[in-house]
Amino acid sequence: MLNRNIIEKVIDKALSNGADFAELFVENTFNSTIAFNDSKTKQNIVGNDYGAGVRVFYGHTAIYAYTNDLSEEALLNAADAVSKAAKGGNIIASIDLTNKEIENIHPIEIPNNTISKKDKIDFIKKVNEASRGYSDQISQVDIRFTEKNQHVMIANSEGLQVEDDRNYSRINVSSIASNGTEKQVGGEGPGRFAGYEFFKSVDPVELGKETARVAVTMLNADYAPSGKFPVVIDNGFGGVIFHEACGHSLETTSVAKGASVFAGKMGKKIAFEGLTAIDDGTMPNEWGSENIDDEGMATKKTVLIENGILKSYMVDKMGSIKTGYARTGSGRRQSYRFAPASRMRNTYIANGNDKFDEMIASIDEGLYAAKMGGGSVSPGTGDFNFAVGEGYMIRDGKIAEPVRGATLIGNGADALLKISMISDNMKMAQGMCGSVSGSVPVNVGQPAIKINEIIVGGRK
Amino acid sequence: MYNKEFKTIFSYAKDKTDEIEILLSAGNSFSVKINEQNIESFNYSDSKGIGVRVIKEGKIGYSYTEKFDEETFKHIVDEAIENAKYTEDDDVVIMENYPENTDSPNVYSKELDKVDVVDKIQLAKDLEKYAKESDKRVFNVPYAVYGDGKSYSRVANSKGLDREDIQNYAYAYIGALSAEKDDKRMGMDYHITRNFREFDPIKMAEESVKKSTNLLNAKPAESGKYAVVFNNEMMATMLATFSGIFNAKSVQEGRSLLKGKIGERIANEKVTIVDDGLHPNGFSTSAFDSEGYPTERTILIENGVLKSYLHNTITARKDGVKSTGNGSRGYKGTLNISTSNFIIEAGEHKEADLFAKHDKIIEIVSLQGMHSGANAISGDFSLGAQGFLWENGKREYSLKPFTVSGNFLQMLSGVEAIADNFKFDMSSNGASSILINELNISG
Repeated sequence: MLNRNIIEKVIDKALSNGADFAELFVENTFNSTIAFNDSKTKQNIVGNDYGAGVRVFYGHTAIYAYTNDLSEEALLNAADAVSKAAKGGNIIASIDLTNKEIENIHPIEIPNNTISKKDKIDFIKKVNEASRGYSDQISQVDIRFTEKNQHVMIANSEGLQVEDDRNYSRINVSSIASNGTEKQVGGEGPGRFAGYEFFKSVDPVELGKETARVAVTMLNADYAPSGKFPVVIDNGFGGVIFHEACGHSLETTSVAKGASVFAGKMGKKIAFEGLTAIDDGTMPNEWGSENIDDEGMATKKTVLIENGILKSYMVDKMGSIKTGYARTGSGRRQSYRFAPASRMRNTYIANGNDKFDEMIASIDEGLYAAKMGGGSVSPGTGDFNFAVGEGYMIRDGKIAEPVRGATLIGNGADALLKISMISDNMKMAQGMCGSVSGSVPVNVGQPAIKINEIIVGGRK
Repeated sequence: MYNKEFKTIFSYAKDKTDEIEILLSAGNSFSVKINEQNIESFNYSDSKGIGVRVIKEGKIGYSYTEKFDEETFKHIVDEAIENAKYTEDDDVVIMENYPENTDSPNVYSKELDKVDVVDKIQLAKDLEKYAKESDKRVFNVPYAVYGDGKSYSRVANSKGLDREDIQNYAYAYIGALSAEKDDKRMGMDYHITRNFREFDPIKMAEESVKKSTNLLNAKPAESGKYAVVFNNEMMATMLATFSGIFNAKSVQEGRSLLKGKIGERIANEKVTIVDDGLHPNGFSTSAFDSEGYPTERTILIENGVLKSYLHNTITARKDGVKSTGNGSRGYKGTLNISTSNFIIEAGEHKEADLFAKHDKIIEIVSLQGMHSGANAISGDFSLGAQGFLWENGKREYSLKPFTVSGNFLQMLSGVEAIADNFKFDMSSNGASSILINELNISG
């Protein structure tokens, strides 16, 4: 993307005031979005994100600058600015980059840009028709078809130079059901680190119908009750509970500052003994997968919690410097506009030995969260909340009437210990995770789990 | 600025498109974050991007680039034309040379551009230092941040419209964590301004610490229905969360609660909500919107009655009204509608008076999960919250995290009193503390 000679000059310049480490990240990305609603293609936009970021470390201080101007002069200016922001003692001699070939563990079969817009729109229309055909109560269907081809180059003062291509494809569908006075939404957003073959793997009719089914079911449901209940959270996007309640607190970004409830807990029991949780960037072509992270390190499979014992944090380069733990290939960023930080990839709770039916049968009165909505957590305290997208009451050991509007609130550390059963139906779902280094694609996942007691905020 | 770029695109597009609009944004930003009196992170940026919106045979197409060269500029015009071919929207789009707002407030301070970086770093250091010193229960200050930025934007179309704007801002925020026994609570305070001398790190630090320590030693909330006071910051958050219901595009597409309700009473008569693109103290103040259309002060709800939606020129034409100057897009995006300075007007009560109106009141000072627990389409919300129990006008104790749930329109109808403590949040939403007759609390 850039002449090696220029890259070396930029890194040398960034180091020139005694920095411990310098890095250049260059990105050239093509984005394409088709937005569809009212049964019509409403908006079509394509574009090119293009820029570079220069980062240096002085001890525990990270300095970052970015620009869209990739001329030698502009890059040297950015490098000069970061080098002068602080002063260090180390003088690193001029560097010599070695191009590192990476193994492509997520091959792309059909690049997105080789498929005509018409084929994509035809696919969208099938989803739309299936949703609207499900029920007269479906009043609107919103569909977004997004593709992103990101080419990155990362070089640093340790002599690393590496490039990678990332191809993302996703379709987001939300169906709105209305009865004249009220509205409810059902949404799905499947996506993969892949090209057009992803869309061939999705059945547009099933996708449309499923979103419509959830919206209509929730429209015709009564409000959820309020109070403390046992809850069964099903697989797939149910994994958002672990992502929000625990995953963020296992990122060194929060651990290093002591702002995480899991700081200082390495090797200790932090969860139900049957719980094993993994963050894995190597799963072939999964939405949160990568070949290398945004610091140029090969991605890994990282066991976070094994049988309830904390085994690893998610560690980026600065996190490693601050905490002393080895990097886990977890340095990620949305784009050149962000310095990387430790982030999740495909994060899931591994299968346990319990059966879904036994979990439901074990509850006299409780909530079954078939589908979760989004959520958030305060890393300092571990307090979380998240919305139930499709919920049902459990009565006398059986799934009973649907309920809507439920929110689950609790504390991450506490909820991990209150998990009492883990089933064997692990499944993942796709999301965009927003944090200090921007919005990055991640998978969340889990088998169905039972939590003995959690606060349900409903309207009754 | 950027005359050459605009000229290149206009002249290439002249014979190929029916109409074209060019939007350019450029700017720089700075931020510094302090941890243990050291700089934890220090960021600058210098960035720009250009986006085009073309009309070809009545259809719209978009494209953008951050790469500035002649070949790429030509390419984005071609791409936008190609995109227009596949658009099926039948909205009528006409670009015009709209009239110009001539007396819009100044939103640029030359003085702010001259502040020395050393003073900026010191401010963030002081925030952390004073927060740690002010109370021994403070065990961590995860956020001690100063930042500023300058942004330039220019929009021009093939009908001769050409507007440009430059503005700047500076902000600081602090988050302090305090602990007592096993209870840990976070408190945040922020300030945004164009006058660097306004920053008062002692006051901000003490405020954030007080917000955090006040919440310690919490007792569980007893589930039930309560009268609720949202403080000014949280009322602004609620307002922002549901701002989409005023979006005329959402209304026309059948996804707003307010469809068909113009002229109807939808809130208590104490409620007046406005969107003011020309607010002198706002940080979303500009003489024109993303279409170059002049901005204005738009009354949305007046004494409880719905008066208007927020429009761009496309939705306005559909409804047979004038645009409210809320057309919104970044160079990377497509034309939509967004709020500018979005305000629920202040009342006359002192905040303390609100708490004397019921025997038992729950005060909400922190909300979580706005993007997941609030359904902007149905108006239903069920949110994680923190706050206090008041009895007989006295703050009794803080509450362990609880949920508050209800429906936004029912909440606006249930407004009993509005205080006079108006405040903008960091995102140009402004409100005062508000007493709501009844909401559901689950603890």
